[in-house]
Amino acid sequence: MSFVDSLLAGLSLVGNFESFLALAIGVAIGVIGGAIPGLSATMAVALTLPFTFTMQPITGILLLLGVYKGGIFGGSIPAILIKTPGTPASSATVLDGYPLAEKGQAGKALGMALWASCTADVISNLSLILFAGWLASFALSFGPPEFFTLILFSLTIIAGVSGESLLRGALSAMLGLLLATIGLDLVYGTNRFTFGDPNMMGGLNFIAVLIGLFAIPEILAMVWNPRSHEGTTRIIGKNWVTFSEYKKSFKSIVRGSFIGVFLGSIPGIGAAPSAFLSYSEARRTSKNKENFGKGEIEGVAAAEAGNNGVAGATLIPLLALGVPGDVITAIIIGAFMIHGLQPGPMMFVLNVDIIYGLFIGLIVSSVFLFLLGSVAIRGFKYVADIPRGVLFPAVLILCVYGVFAVNNNIFDVGVMFAMGWVGFAMLRYRIPAAPFLIAFILGPLLEDNFRQAMLMSGSSPAILFRGPITWFFWAVTAITVVAIVHTGIRATRKGLDQHKENEE
Amino acid sequence: MHNRTIQIQLGVGALLASGFLLLVAIPSWVSSPSNVPNIILSPLFWPNTLAGLTGLVGLGLLLTSIRSPKPLEQAPSDVDNRAAAYVRLFAMAVIMGLTMFALPRLGMVWTSMLAFASVAFLIRTSHPVAALISAVVMPLVLYIFFAHVAGVAIPQGVFVRLS
Repeated sequence: MSFVDSLLAGLSLVGNFESFLALAIGVAIGVIGGAIPGLSATMAVALTLPFTFTMQPITGILLLLGVYKGGIFGGSIPAILIKTPGTPASSATVLDGYPLAEKGQAGKALGMALWASCTADVISNLSLILFAGWLASFALSFGPPEFFTLILFSLTIIAGVSGESLLRGALSAMLGLLLATIGLDLVYGTNRFTFGDPNMMGGLNFIAVLIGLFAIPEILAMVWNPRSHEGTTRIIGKNWVTFSEYKKSFKSIVRGSFIGVFLGSIPGIGAAPSAFLSYSEARRTSKNKENFGKGEIEGVAAAEAGNNGVAGATLIPLLALGVPGDVITAIIIGAFMIHGLQPGPMMFVLNVDIIYGLFIGLIVSSVFLFLLGSVAIRGFKYVADIPRGVLFPAVLILCVYGVFAVNNNIFDVGVMFAMGWVGFAMLRYRIPAAPFLIAFILGPLLEDNFRQAMLMSGSSPAILFRGPITWFFWAVTAITVVAIVHTGIRATRKGLDQHKENEE
Repeated sequence: MHNRTIQIQLGVGALLASGFLLLVAIPSWVSSPSNVPNIILSPLFWPNTLAGLTGLVGLGLLLTSIRSPKPLEQAPSDVDNRAAAYVRLFAMAVIMGLTMFALPRLGMVWTSMLAFASVAFLIRTSHPVAALISAVVMPLVLYIFFAHVAGVAIPQGVFVRLS
């Protein structure tokens, strides 16, 4: 199929009112979800997922992608107005956004956040369109040993960069991998931790685990401290961003977008590190570097470009390799699976219409983001006023209905509650939840590819080092571990030195 | 909690979990055919490997905690009254347990209404009227969507049934 044929096939799939409406509703839900502190883009995507079960695959996935895009931008609104990032990715936006709001220039900061987000979104989507197909055609030559080493690399980097330490991330990933062993054995069909319960034989439901892990702990945190998430909202003010200010920050926006694309395409890094790297690069190269942190509009632009640049790029490993780049794409992979689709290189051969439909939808989502984002900035006051004492019980009920609807099974609701407590314990012990979820998704794939490789080689581990692709993944895994351990040792030494100084 | 305390507790927890898995859980609850040609292909291999690695991670956490500086002072609490916070958490666990018990008996709509109202009360909502209205309206709206639009067989319970 030629490029034009693929494009037309995609257009025939999404060129209807239903798809665009789903995308617009998705962006609106995402912006609102991201703007409510305590909800986050991740929770918004997770809670929207059950509503997509009855939709056409492309419509449902577009709705979720809309929520993703909207949620990442939405997080910047409370970051600027109440100094509380709606999503972790917006943490860097607080640095200059809130000081601008204190000066009565919140409208300017929010306007720049929107413009930078939309620019980065377009660059990220174009990068996805350019690179995903190329990577998928390359990945068609992957066999079980290559996939095993790729997944191992992904898990290593996710475990290493998600939390405060590699070891806590690794513990989280181990727990996720262990949870994924529940069910019937992939080769022999024997029981593993099923306790004779038929509900456990197919393994734990992915949606129940993810909603339990990401939505319920927030409710429990609210129960633990009902006075959390309180803040003073700053007024938007009459100042709005001008085109000359956008032009002045354009270099930082483009640089931040490419940082986002680069980091987003590596599974596991996510939007927050990208936003901080983009911000620090903008500060390093800016003429007004001393103004950064005190209310510099370029700082807001760089941070927002950095985190939105990731949004399209995280779909590169998802679509091309079937490996989710972050938690949100891990949820989106669930939507693909529910509709009987398996992201990965074969999807570019078997479902090229869906791939190109998604590309078209993503480009359109940037336009919706611009239009709906402008409205959301002005409507934030109403979103911020939603009482938490009504919002969180509503989230709980949404979770119960949503999780039940996956399999019509009350057992899944119990799994969700149980995972909620696990997630809350992880929150209290500062264990990152992302490696847990991604390991839970990739666990069966990792084991399956390992065992297939062993079957191919007559149980010789040499097959795991059979060619340049496996060597490459082993090498980058080793480099990642060394880099993270080195950083950890330096941080510990710094902490010890500081501690000695404090004692003196 | 201080970082050092967390590392120690996590390290001990991971070692205990690893020991439990290797000595009790895997031998008891993972079955394997007796004719597996190679140990690597056995259904036991993967859980055992993961349990072993969990133990290693636990050991690493303990070792790093030894190198971490000892805290000079008590970590500040994130809540005003910890005892009350634990009571609220316990109450939430009871609400979840009762929800599971009531779902097949009362049905999802009525159970959700009760769960909504009790959670709103538990987190001391400052808008009790809005919470009560939402507690009634929201489960009904979700029921209409899932039962009549999505075609999901929402549990009706044995007492009051909805059309």
